[in-house]
Amino acid sequence: MSAAGGDRLRAFLAESLALWQVGGKVLAGVAPVLIEIRADDGARVWIERAGDDTPFKWFVRWRRAGDAPGGVRELRPRACGSLVGMLAAAREGLGVERGSAVRVVAALE
Amino acid sequence: MALIPVSIITGFLGSGKTTLLARLMRDPAMGRTAVIINEFGEIALDHDLIETSEESFVQLSNGCLCCNVRSDLTLTLSDLAARRAQGTIPPFERVVIETSGLADPAPILHALMTDRDLNGVYALDGVITTVDALLGITTLDHHEESRRQAAVADRIVITKTDADGANADAVRQRLAQLNPGAAVTDAGTTITPSLLFGHGWYEAGGKHPDVGAWLAHDAAAHAHHAHTDDIASFSIVRDAPLHAVTLALLLSALAENHGADLLRMKGIVNVHEDPQRPAVIHGVQHVYHAPVWLPRWPSDDRRTRMVFIGRNLREAWVRELIELLDAEVAAESSRVPAA
Repeated sequence: MSAAGGDRLRAFLAESLALWQVGGKVLAGVAPVLIEIRADDGARVWIERAGDDTPFKWFVRWRRAGDAPGGVRELRPRACGSLVGMLAAAREGLGVERGSAVRVVAALE
Repeated sequence: MALIPVSIITGFLGSGKTTLLARLMRDPAMGRTAVIINEFGEIALDHDLIETSEESFVQLSNGCLCCNVRSDLTLTLSDLAARRAQGTIPPFERVVIETSGLADPAPILHALMTDRDLNGVYALDGVITTVDALLGITTLDHHEESRRQAAVADRIVITKTDADGANADAVRQRLAQLNPGAAVTDAGTTITPSLLFGHGWYEAGGKHPDVGAWLAHDAAAHAHHAHTDDIASFSIVRDAPLHAVTLALLLSALAENHGADLLRMKGIVNVHEDPQRPAVIHGVQHVYHAPVWLPRWPSDDRRTRMVFIGRNLREAWVRELIELLDAEVAAESSRVPAA
């Protein structure tokens, strides 16, 4: 992803934090991390772009507030197939409980 | 079997729901209508087919239990359908539900959209909300229930316009901010069943929804961002078509991130894979109808237009979400080798 794309995604994730009512910062990461989220409560989320040789788009690792460094989710990333999955992983890392799974009912045609 | 259209009449306590219903009942066109009322008021309704319901929905702050809990209302509707099939009651062709004054209409919409027993029998026609011109502003200011009732309405009837101290213009202005897409009618004018009913998603005659009316929001939204305290509405207009996968991902993201705060969402979408046939989408909180594909565009305007109404929505977030999702899907599509 280009630098401009990274900036755009950071701005979007900053807006996402506001939507989720989470205080914190969205920072540029140190490669291979594209973006790092630092929540005010101590939670951390690291987002990497998946390579084109994988069926995934994103890898997300996190350390929830109060967890010691080096936990399972910090070491083993969650692979996400889309931006929607990346947002869900970020919410989980930040401890945000929000919304419901979409439910689509039969069309009325 | 043709689905039976269901209309919901809601409105805050004392806003004139029952008066409106009683007035409609005098019209011969209401002859084959079953009426479900949540509570008997002071106004007697003279009609052959009136049922009562307790509206015992249960809703959690996180998630939506109403999708799983069978309520008294759904049981009432199921029972009516069964007795209709048995021939023990007249073969009604429409159902009107009058909610209680403090009801949140969203769980009722959910039940109509998701209950397995109801889904093949009934279809939502629309939500009609009464707001009175005398106390409407104060009620909207102080009662979230009232704002939610107005926010999810397809049509709003302003009542008591001839009362001393009534200010219909102020109410109309407030409602235009809260729900610019809703058609607004003055109760002082001629109100007929055909004005209020039969404009919804499903019509026995195969008519499609009046997309243009919903999206009347466009003009207002471009003129000003419609925001009223915690409940806001906005519309998004997009020139370029959206990929079908983007649409599916968008609905997931909206449900997961906005949840119950997204009171209602409607739209007409230009889908990249089938640009000649627009997809019409409609959701209440996290529950959506599968897209309805219109055979053709209703006008020369082929832009994607979506209207969002809800609490604590972030317009910038939704706009950017759509763009980022579609860019991601487009990149993935270009990566997949042609068969």
